[in-house]
Amino acid sequence: MKEVNKNVLKDAALRLMFDMKDEEYETLLNEFDIIIKQLVLMDEIKGLNDIEPMSFPYIDESFNLLRDDEEIKETLLNKEEVLNIAKNTKEGQIKLPKVVN
Amino acid sequence: MNFEAIIGLEIHVEMKTHTKMFSSAPIKFKAEPNTNITYLDLAYPGSLPRVNKNAVINAIRVCNALHMEIDDTLYFDRKNYFYADLPKGYQITQQFRPIGQKGYLEIDVDGEKKRIKVERLHMEEDTAMQHHYSDYTLLDYNRAGIPLVEIVSYPEIRNGKEARKYVEKIKEIVTYLDVSDGKMENGSLRCDVNISLRPYGSDKFGTKVEVKNLNSTANIEAAIDFEMSRQAACLLKGIEIHQETRRFDELKKETVLMRTKTEAADYKYFSEGNIPPIFIGKDFINRAIETSNELYDQKLERFLNEYKLNEVDARILLSSKELSIYYDEAVKNNDNYQQIANFIISEVLGYLNKNEIEISNFNVKPDDISDLVNLLIKKEINSKQGKDIFAKMIETNKSPLVLKEEMGATIISDPEKIRTDIIEIIKENPTLPDDYKNGKTRAQGFVMGLLMKKNKGKVDPILANKLIVEELLK
Amino acid sequence: MEKELHVLDLTIEEIHSHLLNGDVKVSDLVKKAIERVKKDEFNAFEAYNFEEALKEAEELDKEEVPSDNLLFGIPYICKDNLSTKGIETTGGSNILNGYIPLFDATVVTILKEKKAVLIAKATLDELAMGGSGKSGHKGIQLNPYDENKESLIGGSSSGSAVAVASSVTPFALGSDTGDSIRKPASFGGLVGYKPTYGLISRFGLYPFSVSLDHVGYFTRSVDDAALLFDTLNKFDENDFTSSIKERKAIYPIKNNEKRKICVIKEVIDSIKDEDILSRFNYLVENLKKEGYLVDYVSVDPSILKAIYPAYIIISSAEATSNNANLDGIKFGNLKEGNSYPEVMFNTRNEGFSELIKRRFILGSYALMSENQEEVYLKAKKVRRVVVNTFNELFEKYDAFIGPASPTVAPKINQASDNFDDTYLIADNYLAIGNFGGYPSITIPLGIKDDKMPFGVSITSPIFKDEDTFIIAKDCENILKMKNLSTKTKSIILKNMKEAQ
Repeated sequence: MKEVNKNVLKDAALRLMFDMKDEEYETLLNEFDIIIKQLVLMDEIKGLNDIEPMSFPYIDESFNLLRDDEEIKETLLNKEEVLNIAKNTKEGQIKLPKVVN
Repeated sequence: MNFEAIIGLEIHVEMKTHTKMFSSAPIKFKAEPNTNITYLDLAYPGSLPRVNKNAVINAIRVCNALHMEIDDTLYFDRKNYFYADLPKGYQITQQFRPIGQKGYLEIDVDGEKKRIKVERLHMEEDTAMQHHYSDYTLLDYNRAGIPLVEIVSYPEIRNGKEARKYVEKIKEIVTYLDVSDGKMENGSLRCDVNISLRPYGSDKFGTKVEVKNLNSTANIEAAIDFEMSRQAACLLKGIEIHQETRRFDELKKETVLMRTKTEAADYKYFSEGNIPPIFIGKDFINRAIETSNELYDQKLERFLNEYKLNEVDARILLSSKELSIYYDEAVKNNDNYQQIANFIISEVLGYLNKNEIEISNFNVKPDDISDLVNLLIKKEINSKQGKDIFAKMIETNKSPLVLKEEMGATIISDPEKIRTDIIEIIKENPTLPDDYKNGKTRAQGFVMGLLMKKNKGKVDPILANKLIVEELLK
Repeated sequence: MEKELHVLDLTIEEIHSHLLNGDVKVSDLVKKAIERVKKDEFNAFEAYNFEEALKEAEELDKEEVPSDNLLFGIPYICKDNLSTKGIETTGGSNILNGYIPLFDATVVTILKEKKAVLIAKATLDELAMGGSGKSGHKGIQLNPYDENKESLIGGSSSGSAVAVASSVTPFALGSDTGDSIRKPASFGGLVGYKPTYGLISRFGLYPFSVSLDHVGYFTRSVDDAALLFDTLNKFDENDFTSSIKERKAIYPIKNNEKRKICVIKEVIDSIKDEDILSRFNYLVENLKKEGYLVDYVSVDPSILKAIYPAYIIISSAEATSNNANLDGIKFGNLKEGNSYPEVMFNTRNEGFSELIKRRFILGSYALMSENQEEVYLKAKKVRRVVVNTFNELFEKYDAFIGPASPTVAPKINQASDNFDDTYLIADNYLAIGNFGGYPSITIPLGIKDDKMPFGVSITSPIFKDEDTFIIAKDCENILKMKNLSTKTKSIILKNMKEAQ
């Protein structure tokens, strides 16, 4: 497990495209203390390691549906409406400052 | 020191479906920007993905062509990263359980067959298209969500030529299966190359360099060959190879640095909660395979066994899928397989190549080719007339039977009529029989010339020759 | 407090019969609801739909009231994390200020077809990621039962709970990822319901943690909750997790056959409030009298204590990804920058509050490749242990019941969304319902000191939603608190005393 310190958390924040104030990182570090203590406490659960992680509340065949490959006209978006919702647009497209690789 | 190249390819193939991988927006080539989109393609809050059945069927067919183990349950995951062209902030992909695993592809390099193992094939979705201008970028979301399959080879490729053959084979598979356009030039087939060198005999891997933006199989070969010599030169000079991404500069025919990889990106993969595991089952998989289009190799086998063509002719007819379909159509109601093959190879291809026309844009219907070949076989016309009619067919779109009448292209094959003419010619040139008997075989040709002139070239030449000889010997 | 009750203060069933009798018009109801929204003192609303609502009401006035559609003309409130076409939907976050969706959530579409009338959007904890009703961009939602305006209603469906508790409308839509309907229902003296996962469509619900997210609602009676369930319990092809199982109507609710239920001892043991405990005992004793078998069972406390951290880790991790679409580029409150990463950074940095950022960082940490096994996947293993444990209990019992909160609504300064070292099982066990996708309901249990309400929660196995309603209705009959609101509190208190 990666060590929890302000640098690691700040790096994580910047990768998530935001930052916080110093005191906010302090609050977060305190929260990490609590969460990590609780993570350790989870080890008291018998046989936890042998359990398969659970991603869905239940799995049964009632979910087994693939979508037919047919266009649904009613949900096709109107270009003008889409551009109206975006803040910066130009020539029928959404505009950004130049993207450089 | 000699080096061995370790090359692995990652190929993305855009699937040819009516709608997107997870949304019901249509896919239309060259559509006006931002008109083929629905809620999910813009990642509007609350929109949800739904898996496209045909995209799954297509993926299964490619897996089958690559001799892969196909999973009977579909699992999807998220690959998380921020980028301008990624509307959701993640891409739905199949990281942990790809639909296909452990396959192989056989390539033919200078007559030698080599098997390249294929690690995995997974389904995912395309990103939005970026159009870069001098100081801004425009985003077209029509491409966002188009189904992709990614095919990852094991690093068992050793040079540019093998890589080219591998990509050509993949392209052949996806086009023959009709699951993709497979066109590198317009991005429906994209290839990233990972390449490193190591001294022969070593079992360690060198530092890997990634080469992107390769838009033709020729460029793949050229880029790899360049990269092999560049890396070898570095290693010989003791210069360290850096982990980096390079692109191929088409004009200079060399790879140039795009960016250095500081550290491996952490995509924080985890399961896509909006798509529970989908049990598709063996029957679904088998049906997808059974109803799949023929692959090149299957078609070749059929052309050899069923149509009894020789391999050279068969491969010419298989040089494009469209041409092979054209041939299949032409022989549908006509079992003169070889004659039709001959006509298509010499006349049709001759015309197409000379005029740089694609078979898909050729206006003459395969049925008409079949009828024309029949006229030739039945000797209702001769080969000269055949060529003339063919040219008129292209020009007028009329059927050969109609043209034959219109052009008065008939052939005289009544032996009595021909014999009468021959006798008349000999009568006018009484020395001919003796000349012939004395060994002046030119006499035969002389009679034929006059015969043809008399009949405007419409005499069956084989029959005529036989009768001329008979009369000259009398 | 108003002396005279208005028709709008009644349950959906009762309002419907007044509409049928013709002694009230839809427009009367809608006007009254709008008036109450305008007079809101608890900071419950985001966007308004008054004009449309009045227009619809006028149209509905002209129609004959259908006797088979109880939702006809009924005003309602919708949590602002459900997409509404043409009505700004911000999810309680500044990052979505000004975003007007192009489509309706499936539940909103269904209610439109049923001719229920949307009055306003209710505020919530930012992106539904808090539990206090304090973190949304509109500030704190107050509990209408506290005349001093010092108590919280709880979240994240805080505005919806306020609306139904203060009788603005007889029902409101909400969402529940950990207990976001059922906890505020407890603090607001309401019926709060979340169905079996996959029965009510999530299409149009702003995602927080998609395998835990449920769309549900608040009402003031179990019957109302049941009739809404029949309305919203529909297969939706737009939601790939929507169950294709055949749906069966459960309203009107059937009579009880003998049922077996259990109480988790550790939950009860962690509750200190004597009023809550004694009222809960009263309920249990009366259920027994009605023929219920009620067992007190023990569950490994290490499992119960792991529920909250597992919940926080899973939901925060998935929330980072679910909200990665919020970058301002396609929609939302874009903040300019000189490059695209700068645009994204400025938009997100200014758009999210501190709480959201902290949750995202925690979630991101849990997902990092070097941590995943020990954090994220560990939490998902806990999830399975919890679900296995309760599935086993459900082999013997039709439901487990317990107080929906260990206390009445906390005071504003008592509660925050920061993590707390003091861990209360009873404060966090409702997330079991989300882990397993179980149908789960909160109904009013009692009123402490004749002032602040508290609830009891009932949870059944998946697809046994009908059992949840049957048991809840039996409890409601015993407890005599049907249609509790700030408007009816004095009447209800009287009825309760008479019964006891």
